Amino acid sequence: MNNSFVSKETLNKILKELAAAEDVLLYAPVLNGKVLDFAEITDAEKIAISDDISYKSPKEAFMPQAENLMTFSEGGVLESAYDKKTVVFGAKPCDAEALRVLHAVLMTGKFQDPFFERRFENSVLIAVGCASEKPGCFCTERGFDKEFSDFSDIMLRRDEGGTGYTVTHLSGKGRELLSEFNETKGIEAAKRTAKAQGTGMKKLELDKSIEDRELFDIIDWDKATEICQGCGMCTFICPSCHCFDFKDVSTFSETKRYRCWDSCMYPQFTLHASGHNPRASVKERFRQRVLHKYLYINKIFGYTACTGCGRCIRSCPAGMNIKKIVESIMEVLP
Amino acid sequence: MSFDAQREKIKEICKDLLEKGLVETVIGYAEGGIDGARIPYMFGTPEGAKALCWDQRCVVNLCTYAYEKRDRKTGVVAKPCDVRGIVNYIAENQLNRENVYIIGVDCDGMVGADGEKLPWCAECSVKKPPVYDVKVENPDITDGESAKKEEPSSMPGDFAKFQTEISKCILCYSCRQACCGCYCPVCFMDRGVPNWQPAEPGQGAKMMYHLGRASHLAGRCVECGACERVCASGVDVRYIIKEATKFIEDVYGFRAGFDTETEPVMAAYDPGDREIGFLGGEKHE
Ligand code: SF4
Ligand code: SF4
Ligand code: SF4
Ligand code: SF4
Repeated sequence: MNNSFVSKETLNKILKELAAAEDVLLYAPVLNGKVLDFAEITDAEKIAISDDISYKSPKEAFMPQAENLMTFSEGGVLESAYDKKTVVFGAKPCDAEALRVLHAVLMTGKFQDPFFERRFENSVLIAVGCASEKPGCFCTERGFDKEFSDFSDIMLRRDEGGTGYTVTHLSGKGRELLSEFNETKGIEAAKRTAKAQGTGMKKLELDKSIEDRELFDIIDWDKATEICQGCGMCTFICPSCHCFDFKDVSTFSETKRYRCWDSCMYPQFTLHASGHNPRASVKERFRQRVLHKYLYINKIFGYTACTGCGRCIRSCPAGMNIKKIVESIMEVLP
Repeated sequence: MSFDAQREKIKEICKDLLEKGLVETVIGYAEGGIDGARIPYMFGTPEGAKALCWDQRCVVNLCTYAYEKRDRKTGVVAKPCDVRGIVNYIAENQLNRENVYIIGVDCDGMVGADGEKLPWCAECSVKKPPVYDVKVENPDITDGESAKKEEPSSMPGDFAKFQTEISKCILCYSCRQACCGCYCPVCFMDRGVPNWQPAEPGQGAKMMYHLGRASHLAGRCVECGACERVCASGVDVRYIIKEATKFIEDVYGFRAGFDTETEPVMAAYDPGDREIGFLGGEKHE
């Protein structure tokens, strides 16, 4: 770790340069009407720096909603090129933690995802610590520090005077990007409130040794999911949801292969060609969503695929609350 | 009559319904959302009525739950837009009138977490339930002109605005899922044969979706705003649907969700219908 300081003015200058740079894609929070969005930026003036959390997550920068992977034609197979550097500015610590999950699933398992990998390797994640928890946030209960995540390349924390940010470089990539701008070297290893990892409180998570069948029976999933409308919004805005589908698009001369986000909350997700659907209703779908996040990914990769960002709770049109559901599971377990 | 008085009356009615065994389940609102929002609440015992809420944060349209429970007798605490959704289901033969007990509640509009009236509520002119089994009135509320009259857009002059609006859409189809008018078991957008969805997930697909959905909701939208509320991208989802609603009202004098007997306008054909409703018919003035 290596700490320094950056003033607001300098940061603005850096962002302006990044936004203008042809070979850099800059993603940042931006106000879209009343909604705080996370999007590609070309005009640094548009960046909305605030403590608020964006409705959508920054995962799009690493896994776009629709990505053209390759083109087939008589000339052969052409993989789509991707050579831009991506800078993601203004992600929250929970977003960085979500990237840790995506990285584990897509890059460390039995199969590697080259398309995610090239975006990941080409990116610099600049996270900004949160001053407060927003309604619905539960990162602390999940054991994270709302001000810090070491899965970012650069971690910024507002300094108390409000003149700028304490910068913690966590990777070579991060150091490189900001090297010319370090204003004060060697600031004390940030006055970080070390109440990280939710000390003193029971962490919201499920024991890996639990058998899912057991949970199928001891939880009244009908009751737990009766208000869910199956809209799927929770999965699209979740920073750690990563299920996808492929789609081939043909014209007379070529076929393009896309990868698109998919959602376990959609009926088509598990629909068999025979017409049979093993997850026939919202009950099975939502149960899968919770257990995939809290149990299955944990069993395989050692992480829970929920960072407590609260996006699904804030965006749910029905008022479903994943935190309460996990709490209720924890309550009935021995 | 205040919210409190209405709430007490709602509790009394629901308790009574369950005690007398007139319904199996009641759908209303209870605490539990973030920022004070109320969430849908279903219960089947008279004691359950104690937890009922009724205030300005009862935003969710409950008619989709009544539809989910259409195989049994259900009581619904229904705002005028919820009632219109239920009536629409009944008129379209999706729900038996006998299976739903409508507790119609006068409503002057709901507010968001910021205390501001929700946009669709600000535009709403139906404040008293058009159909009910029992009503929970509020004499301070009168039907009539909405506070905010939307300027009708002039298609196709506003086509550019429509294009900009939907360019924000990420095609998650959440608006469709939240809508009580969108109950098709398989949406046209999900069909493979024929494949209505343009191949690339770009502007073309977004147009197909929003134009398709708007035309399917012509004369069926009950103006509840559920679609717009769910949208993560801040799309003015009802922009073109409002246009279709207005067109149907101008041409056929029909508004959805007011009575269970009238044949839905798009299901009815009368040789005397104005040509304007047909493709290639007279021009829309
Ligand atoms: S939990 Fe909420 S956001 Fe997710 S599918 Fe159900 S209704 Fe939609
Ligand atoms: S499940 Fe909900 S709270 Fe957890 S990471 Fe996803 S959006 Fe955030
Ligand atoms: S308008 Fe909004 S809710 Fe509807 S499909 Fe598009 S992004 Fe999803
Ligand atoms: S289109 Fe929107 S406003 Fe109309 S009934 Fe459906 S959800 Fe409600």
